[in-house]
Amino acid sequence: MASIDYPLERPDIEDTGWHFAENLYRWIATVDHKKLGLMYIVSALIFLCVAGVMAVVIRLQLAFPNGHVVDPDTYDRLFTMHGTTMVFLVGMPIVAGLSNYLVPLMIGARDMAFPRLNSFGFWIFLFGGLLLYYSYIGGSGLSGAGSAPDVGWFAYAPLTTKSFSRGHSVDYWALGVLVSGFGSIASAINVIATTISLRCPGMTLSKMPMFVWVMLVDAWLILIALPPLSAGQIMLLLDRYLGANFFNTQHGGSAVLWQHIFWIFGHPEVYILIFPAFAILSELVPIFSRKPLFGRPAMVGAVVAIGFISLGVWAHHMFAVGMTSWSNTFFAASSMLVGIPTGIKIFNWTATMYGGRIRLLTPMLFCCAFLLQFLVAGLTGIMLAVAPFDWQLHDSYFVVAHFHFTLAGGLVTALFGGFYYWYPKVAGRMYNETLAKWHFWLFIIGFNLTFIPLHFAGTLGMPRRIYTYAPGRGWEIWNQLASLGALMQAAAVTLFAWNVIYSAIKGEPAGDDPWDAWTLEWGTTSPPPEYNFEKLPVVRSSRPLWDLKHPNDPDWKYE
Amino acid sequence: MAEENVLTAGALTLEQDWKMPDRGTVGIIFLIITETALFSIFVAAYLIYIGKSLVGPYPKDVLELPILATICLLSSSGTIVFAEHALEKGHLGQFKLWWIVTICLGLEFLTATGLEWRKLIVHDHLTISTNLFGTTFYSLVGLHASHVTVGMVFLLLVLAVTLFRFPIETQKRRVKFLSWYWHFVDAVWVVVFTVVYIIGR
Amino acid sequence: MSIETHHGEAGEHTEATHIQLPAPTFWPMIFAFGITLLFAGLVTFWAVGVVGAIIAFRSAVGWWDNVIPHEEHEELPIDPAHRPAPILVEDRSVVRVQVGEQGHRMRIPIEVHPYSAGIVGGLIGGAAMAILACLYGLVTQHSIWYPVNLLAGVVVPGLGEASLQQLRQFNGLAFVAALIGHGILSALVGIVYAAIMPMFPKYAPLWAGILVPLFWSGLVATSLSILNPALNDRISWPWFVVCQLAFGLVGGYVIARSTNIQTMQSLPLAQRAALHFPTDDTKSER
Repeated sequence: MASIDYPLERPDIEDTGWHFAENLYRWIATVDHKKLGLMYIVSALIFLCVAGVMAVVIRLQLAFPNGHVVDPDTYDRLFTMHGTTMVFLVGMPIVAGLSNYLVPLMIGARDMAFPRLNSFGFWIFLFGGLLLYYSYIGGSGLSGAGSAPDVGWFAYAPLTTKSFSRGHSVDYWALGVLVSGFGSIASAINVIATTISLRCPGMTLSKMPMFVWVMLVDAWLILIALPPLSAGQIMLLLDRYLGANFFNTQHGGSAVLWQHIFWIFGHPEVYILIFPAFAILSELVPIFSRKPLFGRPAMVGAVVAIGFISLGVWAHHMFAVGMTSWSNTFFAASSMLVGIPTGIKIFNWTATMYGGRIRLLTPMLFCCAFLLQFLVAGLTGIMLAVAPFDWQLHDSYFVVAHFHFTLAGGLVTALFGGFYYWYPKVAGRMYNETLAKWHFWLFIIGFNLTFIPLHFAGTLGMPRRIYTYAPGRGWEIWNQLASLGALMQAAAVTLFAWNVIYSAIKGEPAGDDPWDAWTLEWGTTSPPPEYNFEKLPVVRSSRPLWDLKHPNDPDWKYE
Repeated sequence: MAEENVLTAGALTLEQDWKMPDRGTVGIIFLIITETALFSIFVAAYLIYIGKSLVGPYPKDVLELPILATICLLSSSGTIVFAEHALEKGHLGQFKLWWIVTICLGLEFLTATGLEWRKLIVHDHLTISTNLFGTTFYSLVGLHASHVTVGMVFLLLVLAVTLFRFPIETQKRRVKFLSWYWHFVDAVWVVVFTVVYIIGR
Repeated sequence: MSIETHHGEAGEHTEATHIQLPAPTFWPMIFAFGITLLFAGLVTFWAVGVVGAIIAFRSAVGWWDNVIPHEEHEELPIDPAHRPAPILVEDRSVVRVQVGEQGHRMRIPIEVHPYSAGIVGGLIGGAAMAILACLYGLVTQHSIWYPVNLLAGVVVPGLGEASLQQLRQFNGLAFVAALIGHGILSALVGIVYAAIMPMFPKYAPLWAGILVPLFWSGLVATSLSILNPALNDRISWPWFVVCQLAFGLVGGYVIARSTNIQTMQSLPLAQRAALHFPTDDTKSER
């Protein structure tokens, strides 16, 4: 084997000259999975900031009784666009972005299976999102009857019918989300084909990194769950444009049908959104505990089980609609059933940490916070799965607190951990640990300060989507605490953004493998070259880099 | 060493025996799965709304069994397989013949659907907004017909480039995927036919 | 037709100095833009949709040219300045715990009693329990059918409200229901015994014979008032506990006498699920 000299001093990664047109072309014409993944993540983060600002405005409006920070119409648009953006323009591209960037690197491939489809998927997601936001300036004009969607992120019929929503606001919602949905489908097919067809030699399914497993099941869920939403939106558009009667109760149509169709999509969707968190935890917890993932086969089994059970739980969002008691029983039972595989995952991450040599760096801190917060979210989820309990608290702030604990306390928390973990790989430079720790504590305290009190406000009867409230109901203190927390979270995210930008320019060079990790993406340079690996790797165990680092004691002897 | 980075001892044999499924095959299979999910919602909506129309016309009064169109569409699944086999063996003339037959059968189906809709709209005054039957009928059959149309566009494209002496034998893989898509469209028609013309009538 | 390798589209013909990657193209982006405009036409103005359709068509042609007849590629030179640093070999190894190794407490059943023994033991234990229960009926109510009817009261509606006189008489339906219910439950509990007895940390006879029946009695005592309140009023708890103990002792004894068989607990999950068959190679390692 020929010996190759390695330059210890590498030339700086960035080209000094800045050719705008050339760079622009390089980014819009790229079919490289890493560039597309980055573009997905960056656009998702921008949308996150936009929707986050909306959340802060909502919190300001609710901070005091009889508040008038914004007028009621604007308020309706704010919570609708906040929800829609967070789910479809933040959560979905994060799924696509993470799998785009990391899956080919982790399975030792040079690109995704369909590079051009990948590029199409990203751009149509972005244009779909822009179309949705164009509603603010387009539609019936800035102050017209239409403008931005104001019917809530699940757009219940019959509010969305022509007679109750004039103008084009609902059409913007349906079209924008429909169009960006094509991107998610394209990216999901791509991820599945990539993981099935492009794994490097030796990487059988049983040796595939847990991250890839979770993203594979996630892509599967997208393929099954997203078309029902598209179908529902097509029906809605037919109703609105051609006068069809799907959700028109005057002609015997059923508003409940929309709820079923929406939640057939909507419940798997929340699993689609939380799966990246599962994927991140499954990589980070072992690395920072210096132990292999505990119960790997059970983890794979659990994620596959969630991928199927979660398709049959949707109507637990609809207990208050008045279904038969058999449906209520079935959906309550299946919702609790899905708690079992989720519990397996929580226990296995905890067991991975047990007895490990834990390094409490920022990524790991976020993982620990995830475990606790997601546990709370899961427990309130089980509470809401009990139909009589749900009848009491349906559409209250308790529900708002519950799903923000899953999505902000679960997904976003884990995402921050994941971003810090892979930041050195992507940027080639280390983030600033001090700033990151500040970010962590500000965010976690702010988050809990926001959403723990909202449980109490909800239990005291505060309904969600309420514009304002009268004093003297015992809601004031909880809302004030929540608004304070929201400001802390905003400060934390600002720190994060500063850290990301600053460290990309001034950070310490990270080296190829700063965490002493075990998966393939750490076996190439940081940032990886466009072809990822000069020679495609060959793996013999689920921790290929461990095998290389410990030739006397490789994993494959035991697997 | 670079080699250490990527290779372990004895791995070379592993590399030689390493065969993975074709990415295009996987892609088209999962495209079909996701399309199935889309159709199943429309089929479910149709089943739920059977007999819920408040005003006529009702399916039993206006729907006629599209026997000929069904036979045409289903047999086109056979002819496209013949075309594929001919291409596989390199008989370009046979390929073109069977491909044209497939297109004709597909066109007959689309024409039949068009005539049926014309009759329903002009003669029976059934539009998408008349009642729930109209709503679900036009959307389900229309969704299927739009898929047939997309398939037809690609079939015509293949024919056109073949007639212009494009070496179609270099595209066996893509032709195979197109024929799988066409089979899927046929299979959906079996479901639509059962639901709309048998159960729904 | 190109031969598909695991490299996918990228890197099909890798040369020593260059690596083949799919060539950049902006047509997918233009196509996405056209499609979006097409849909935007619905909410803005029809002409927007027409422009979108034209753009989409033009870019579809561009995309087609890019992939047919062959996907366009670019040759990227391998950049020697950006090779990954060599991986540092660490001599330190880790201790790997084997199941059943010294100091490693076994929590999974490496061996179990056969299920057949569980069923037989359960049935014999159930018989012993039934004999004692009938004895109780004979002694207190002068009828062996009294406990049978009481047991059937859980499933046969109306028996709970029956008079004492009716409960002493033979009732065919109640007898069949009680026999089936008792038999099935005894066999099932027997199977559970067979599976978990080897896992009891210590004093298996004590657990199987005494403690589990006591737990079971406690469980029944707390839930019987919901299952059948009328029966709850009539039941004699001392006799009930004695009957349970008879089951535990007799059934447990019969099961304990059988020879243990190995489970596959120490094998990997994939192997147990018959997804992965060990080759000779891995067998010899074991």
